[in-house]
Amino acid sequence: MSALLEIRALHKQFRGLTALDDVSFDVAQGELLGLIGPNGAGKSVLINVVSGVYAASAGTVWLRGTDVTSLPTYQLARRGIARTYQNIRLFARMSVLENVLVADQRYSARPFRTLFAGGRREDCAAAEVLLERVGLAAKRDALAGTLAYGEARRLEIARALAGRPRLLFLDEPAAGMNELESEELAAVIRSFRAELDVIVLIEHDVALIRELSDRLVVMDSGKVIAVGKPAEVLADPRVIEAYLGAEEADG
Amino acid sequence: MIQDYVMQTGINILLAWSVYIILLSGSLSFANGGFMAIGAYVSAVLTVKFGIPLILAAALAGAAAFLFGIVVAYPALRTRGLYLILVTVGITASIKVMIESIDYVGGIQGFTGMSGASPWHVVTLVLVVGAALWLISHSRLQRMLDAVREDELVAASLGINVVHLKVACFGAGAFIAAVAGSFYAHYLLFVRPEDFGILPSVFIVLYVVLGGMNNLWGPPVGATIMTLVPEFTRGLAQWRPTVFGILIVLLLLVRPDGLLPFRVPTERRLRNRPNNP
Repeated sequence: MSALLEIRALHKQFRGLTALDDVSFDVAQGELLGLIGPNGAGKSVLINVVSGVYAASAGTVWLRGTDVTSLPTYQLARRGIARTYQNIRLFARMSVLENVLVADQRYSARPFRTLFAGGRREDCAAAEVLLERVGLAAKRDALAGTLAYGEARRLEIARALAGRPRLLFLDEPAAGMNELESEELAAVIRSFRAELDVIVLIEHDVALIRELSDRLVVMDSGKVIAVGKPAEVLADPRVIEAYLGAEEADG
Repeated sequence: MIQDYVMQTGINILLAWSVYIILLSGSLSFANGGFMAIGAYVSAVLTVKFGIPLILAAALAGAAAFLFGIVVAYPALRTRGLYLILVTVGITASIKVMIESIDYVGGIQGFTGMSGASPWHVVTLVLVVGAALWLISHSRLQRMLDAVREDELVAASLGINVVHLKVACFGAGAFIAAVAGSFYAHYLLFVRPEDFGILPSVFIVLYVVLGGMNNLWGPPVGATIMTLVPEFTRGLAQWRPTVFGILIVLLLLVRPDGLLPFRVPTERRLRNRPNNP
């Protein structure tokens, strides 16, 4: 079986710094892949390269057997790649509902046609369903800039899903959340699983990642150091060392 | 007299909107004085030397500026913020120098022989452009432009072709500035390169800043005030520019987002329709 997303020998160089060093792994149809590693391991850089925010220095990203490495960001989005951001990046001056509406790709692909169609009587139903599912229906008319932290994170997910993507990359969606909020988030992610081909989840919350992931990829210093089932990978001495530092692992 | 006021105000409203359209996608342009020059000179040459009717000449001049705008937009829009502003200032400066060096259009001496523009041309155009902007402001396109203006990168990751929108806005702004320039030239009957230097470009941007750049009504309000107030304060004689300048500074201290700062409230409209069909 060929993988849906294949990452092959990906390199990313920022001047002197090697952010991604020969990164290769596959993600299969239907999989929820956890991507973990210490800060600065290159997880976010990897998402940025795959979603077209950064250009790869070398290597290839295959999506359903097509080389998508050098496609511009908007075309990757139209091929079904959606993402959230580690530092929340909502459109603060738009309402919650508008943040979701703007991501509807039926319109963004043909911007000038919207002048005469769907102006005043917009189809908000789909957007409202999405808001309902992430628990933000009551906030639909609030400005996105006024949302609380956990709400903003969930709105980012709703906005990412509004384009009907097939692949969703979540960059530390539970960062800064309390236990209750992360449990709600886990429920939200689980509820969308069946509608997506692939979810890639970057997360530091080990409990959350163990609970949600089918498989883990562990990165450290730009390299993939372990791939496998969560239980096995989290018991791997190299992974423990990367997370806790060499001395503690020795002692 | 009234004719003059209508003409000047109308042309300045069009110029303010030409900057506003480019600003919709988040770029501040000081190139519109230059685009206006292209419009004035291209249309003047077409009517005076080739006998083409004014309306057609204005449309052709607009098309020429549109193409020019798009061609320069691709490299120019690779820069952002202050750098883009400098690039647009450079565009205006180089257009002026270019015209000065073309003897065919009179060089630094200027060009004359045009006539025939009436306030009706300008009023009609104001209504047409205003209607187009109103249509945009009530469409999903406005929201996409808002997204580009707020965060280009996120807009792109939602499937919006950011470059396409920004270049289109730049071209549309160039078109409107050039058509306004055509009518300007055929009303004044005489144009010189120095009518289109950096200063007019700065003034056009000021109309927008003064009126407010978040909705389509701000720029015409700013343009009207800045056109008519100096006309009706002639009693101040040589102090006029000084008093006017101080007034603008004070006004922007009190209302930093312009006189009409509100955003087009698409969300408010939606709120009134709880059960959308």
